Amino acid sequence: MILALTFTEASVIGLLVAGVQFGTLLYLAALGETVAEKSGVLNLGVEGMMATGASVGFIVAVETGSPWAGILAGAAAGALLSLVHAVAAVGLGADQVVSGLALTFLGLGLADFVGDGYTDDARRSLFRDVELPGLDGIPWIGEIVFRHSPVTYGAVLSGIVVWFVLNRTAVGLGLRAAGETAATADAAGHSVLRLRFAAVMVGGAFAGASGAYLTTYLVGSWSQNLTAGRGWIAVALVIFGAWRPGRVALGALLFGFTLALKSRLAVFGIEFSPILLDMTPYLLTVVVLVVISIRARNKPSPAPAAIGIPYRREER
Amino acid sequence: MKRLVLTRREIPTRGGQPVAFLFGLAFALLVGAILMQVSGDPAIDVYQRMWERSLGSTDTWSVTFNRAVPLALAGLAVSIAATMGLWNIGAEGQILFGATAATLVGRLFPDWPGPVLITAMLIAAVIGGALWALGPGLAKAELGVSEIITTLMLTEVAIRLITYLEQGPWKDPEGFGFPNVTARPPQAELGDLWDRTHIGVLLALAVIGAFAWFINRSVWGYELRIAGSSRQTAAYAGISMRRKVLGVLLLSGAVAGFAGGIELTGTAVRLNAQISNGYGFSGIIVAALALMRPSAIPVVALAFGAVQVGGQSIQTSLGVSPAVSTILQALILFGAIGAAVFSNYRVVALDRQVSVA
Repeated sequence: MILALTFTEASVIGLLVAGVQFGTLLYLAALGETVAEKSGVLNLGVEGMMATGASVGFIVAVETGSPWAGILAGAAAGALLSLVHAVAAVGLGADQVVSGLALTFLGLGLADFVGDGYTDDARRSLFRDVELPGLDGIPWIGEIVFRHSPVTYGAVLSGIVVWFVLNRTAVGLGLRAAGETAATADAAGHSVLRLRFAAVMVGGAFAGASGAYLTTYLVGSWSQNLTAGRGWIAVALVIFGAWRPGRVALGALLFGFTLALKSRLAVFGIEFSPILLDMTPYLLTVVVLVVISIRARNKPSPAPAAIGIPYRREER
Repeated sequence: MKRLVLTRREIPTRGGQPVAFLFGLAFALLVGAILMQVSGDPAIDVYQRMWERSLGSTDTWSVTFNRAVPLALAGLAVSIAATMGLWNIGAEGQILFGATAATLVGRLFPDWPGPVLITAMLIAAVIGGALWALGPGLAKAELGVSEIITTLMLTEVAIRLITYLEQGPWKDPEGFGFPNVTARPPQAELGDLWDRTHIGVLLALAVIGAFAWFINRSVWGYELRIAGSSRQTAAYAGISMRRKVLGVLLLSGAVAGFAGGIELTGTAVRLNAQISNGYGFSGIIVAALALMRPSAIPVVALAFGAVQVGGQSIQTSLGVSPAVSTILQALILFGAIGAAVFSNYRVVALDRQVSVA
C-alpha cells in the first residue's frame, strides 16, 4: 500500500497549514455550540446552521465582492435560524434533540433552496491571507501559524473572548448557572430564558460564520451537501473539549489535521483509497469519545447539569 | 391589567396530537408558500403538482406507498430506541449497511431461487443493521458514550463505505466504467400487491404491529417500559439497564437494516449511497410527530412519503428546487411543536399585581 514516502518540507508545512484552516472551520462552530450548551441548551442544528451560513455567506460575498460581508451575512443567517430552535426548545420547552434535528433539516433545505442558482459559480478564495509582520518570517512556525486568513485570527480571538466572558464576567456566571441549576440562576435575578435565547443565537452566529468561511475561503464555491457532516464533528468536539474553549480549540486542530490529511496524502506518495481515508475523521470521533469516556470513568461529568432540561419557573 | 401566562394542564388534552399535526401541516404549507413567492416560484402550482404526483391520482399511489415503507420503518427504529430514552440518529447508516449486507448475500448466492434469496437477503439486512448499531450500543451501555454522536458518525462512514465498494471491490465489470455496484440478482425482487406497490408495505405494517404487541404485551416489553420511565424502579426490580440499552439499540438497528433490505429488493436495482435518501433522518421527524407511538407511525410516514415524492416532481416539471420538500418536513414538525403547547398547557390571564408579588 505504501510505495515511497516523500516527506518534503513544503508538503509537511502544507499539511499543517491546511490543518489550521480546517481547524478554524471546526472551531468557530464548536465554540458557538459550547456557549449554547453552557447555558443548558443542546443544539443539534449546527450542521444546518453551518450549511445556511455557507450558502447565504457565499451569495452575499459574491454579490458585494466583500468576503467580510459574506462572513457577517453567514453569521446573521445562522443566528436568525437558531432563533427557531430557541423559540421551540427554550420558549416552548420542546425536546431539544427533536427541535435541533429539525433545525438541521430546515437549515440544509434552506441552504439548497437559496443557493440553487449559485452552484456553478466557482471562485478562488475571496479572502487574502494576512502575514503578521515580523512573525511570518520565522522558519516553519511563521508559515504554519502566522500566515492565515483573518478569519483564523478572528477565531482565536473569539475563543479568548468567549473564555473571558464565560469565566470572568457576571453575564458569564449567570449563563453558566442557567446551564447548571436554572432555578438558582433565576433566584439570583438572572433571566434564564433571556440568557438561553442569547446563548443559542451566539451559537447560531458562530455556526453560520463557520459555514461562510467554508464557502468564501476554504472552497470558494457553493454546492449541495458541502458541509458533509462537519457540523456534527463540531458538536462532538464540545464533548471532546469538556465544554472548555481552550480544550475545544485543541480538538479542532486535531480534527482539522485529520480532515486536511485526505487531500494531502497523495503529496506524500502514499497510495491509499481517498474514500476510505475520508472515513477517518468520523471514525476518529467515535474512538476519541470512547477513550474520553474510559478515562472519565468514576469522575463527575463535565457536562452542564441542566443540559436538555427546559426551564419553567412554575415548576421550580 | 391582565397578563397571559402558560400553566401546565394536569392531563394533556386527548387527541391533541392529530390536531397539532394538522396545524403543523398548515403552518408548513403557509410558510413554504411565502418562501416560494418571495423567491419568485409559483407556490400554488408547486403544491398542486406535489399533490397530483403523490396522493392526488391513483397512478402515483404506488410510489407514495413504497416511499412510506422506509420512512415508517426508520420511524419505528427511532421510537424503539426512544423507549429507553435513547436517540438513534444514525438509522440512515443502519439502513445503508443493511442494504450492503443484503447485497453481499445476493453476490454470494446469485443462483438461489427468488423467494429463498429474498428471505436470505432480508435476514442479512436485519443482521447488518443490528451490527451497525452494535458499536454505539456497546459504547452507550458500557461507557455512557452519547449514542447521538456515534450513530451519526457511523452514518458518514456507511456512505463512504458504499462509495468505496462502488469504485473498487464491487464495481460492475460490465458497467462501461461507471462506478456502479453490480445489479442485484433479478429474481431477488419483492412481488407487487397491486400496480407497483410492493409487499414491503405489508412487511412494514407487520413489523410495526409486532413491536406494538411486544412492547405492550410481552415481559421484556413490560420491563422495557419500566426501565425507560424510571431508572430507580428498574434497579429496584432487578432489571439490568446495560442489557436493556444494548438490546434496544440492536433492535432499533435491526429494524432500520430491514428497511435497507426492503429498499434493495423492493424499489432499487442495485446498492448505492442514495438507496436511503435521508430516510433515516426523516424517520426521526416521523417518530417525533407520532409521539413515538407505533400505531401513529404509518399515518405520519404516509404523509411524509407524499411530501417527499411530490417534492421530487417539482424540479423537473417546474424548475423549483426539491429542497422545498426538506423545508416543508422541518416546518411541519416546528408547527406541530408550537401547536402541541396548547394540549399540554393552557393560557391563563393573571392579574399583574399578583404575578409581581
